[in-house]
Amino acid sequence: MFDQGAEAHRRQEPTRLSVAPGAESDTADALLHRAALGEDDAFAALYDLVSARVYGLCLRVVRDPAQAEEVAQEVFVEVWRTATRFDERRGSATAWIATIAHRRAVDRVRSAQAAGERERRAATETAVPEYDQVAEAAAGRLEHRQVRRCLKTLTELQRQAITLAYYGGHTYRQVATLLETAVPTVKSRIRDGLVKLRDCLEVAR
Amino acid sequence: MSADIHALIGAWALDAVNDQERRLVEAHLGECASCAQEAAELREAVARLSDVTVAEPPARLRGRVLAEVRRTRQAAPATTGAEAAPQQAAPSRPRRTRRTFHLPRLRLALGAAAIAVAAAFAGVVATWAIMHQQPGPSEADRIAAVLEAADAEVAQEQPDGGGQVTVISSASLDQAVVVIADLASPGADRSYQVWMVDEAGQVSAGVMDAGDSSATMLIEGVGDTDLIGVTEEPAGGSDTPTLPLIAGLPLDA
Repeated sequence: MFDQGAEAHRRQEPTRLSVAPGAESDTADALLHRAALGEDDAFAALYDLVSARVYGLCLRVVRDPAQAEEVAQEVFVEVWRTATRFDERRGSATAWIATIAHRRAVDRVRSAQAAGERERRAATETAVPEYDQVAEAAAGRLEHRQVRRCLKTLTELQRQAITLAYYGGHTYRQVATLLETAVPTVKSRIRDGLVKLRDCLEVAR
Repeated sequence: MSADIHALIGAWALDAVNDQERRLVEAHLGECASCAQEAAELREAVARLSDVTVAEPPARLRGRVLAEVRRTRQAAPATTGAEAAPQQAAPSRPRRTRRTFHLPRLRLALGAAAIAVAAAFAGVVATWAIMHQQPGPSEADRIAAVLEAADAEVAQEQPDGGGQVTVISSASLDQAVVVIADLASPGADRSYQVWMVDEAGQVSAGVMDAGDSSATMLIEGVGDTDLIGVTEEPAGGSDTPTLPLIAGLPLDA
């Protein structure tokens, strides 16, 4: 068979990663594990735990509530279908689900772009994250304040590049265009910014 | 090239890369354990960005999701199959022939190769570290999708040393399945390696285990690849192909 790195990765004995602190994280992991065993009720409880995270992220990226709902539904069906393949050693359940949700939302936005359904001007306008407004809505939750605080530790360019890519669903090349900045600069600012964000959020290593 | 790809890990963690770049980054992560660790940490940090966008979905979504889940079968757990590839009977065809068919004819012409693929992928599909965490259908399902694609194109070649290399590619899926069967044994300290070649150069698509002479693999992000090449390399593969090509199968543009 082809070795595309699985062996190398296993030998490394990866440490458990988690940045979602507290009981929610543990609960999501446990519920996802039970969902992987086919337990419908555990999956329903998992839905209740993370549906606002999934739908909110889809809504932020896709912008249209009807489409966000469709994408969120796809995300949950995929979570159910592939729960059997989740490996807790490689990350938290919450992050795994958020990754699926973001990828699906971005795919939706990009396929719409490719099909020419999305006007360029509108894309540019909606892509600019209403960061303060979002932070405002999320105020009061400890972990939200932590993310906000950590985003503030980034340089303006790092923060803009990361939020445009993540919340706007843009590629780094599109981000470079939007920010009128050289592509290699954007690429490195994104990486530097994420490293800083990781350190600030104290991702377990 | 590797440094360029490594610099994309941040953009990859944000899903801010195109399909081709994603493939390159994930191939890189598969070859570099410390990079995979960093990538996982960045992904974990990125996921926290969804903390600040929480919004309650409409109540009807819950019922829809749970109803669809009730009628959705769960995927089989990923296995890291250690079984050897089933050996494909070497057809007694003239060597160094090269063919391309369109699908309607292919269903008959390809019979043997398709059956070999179907038999092979159950046991030999390599699932690698990052892919475990990737959303989407199983590799076996995706291989089946390529075989069944309406625009599937098939190319076959019998290398001088024996055996057969078959590539089934689908432009619409941007994927290809490579089936390598019964090549000459490379020796315990040598590996066969598969390359995607285009105008800009070549990229490794995968390295077979040392000493193996048969394997099946799925290539994603075929893009503008002109040629799928197979070379013999030191165990574990090389950064650049060692010529001559054991097999070189052109893909229709």
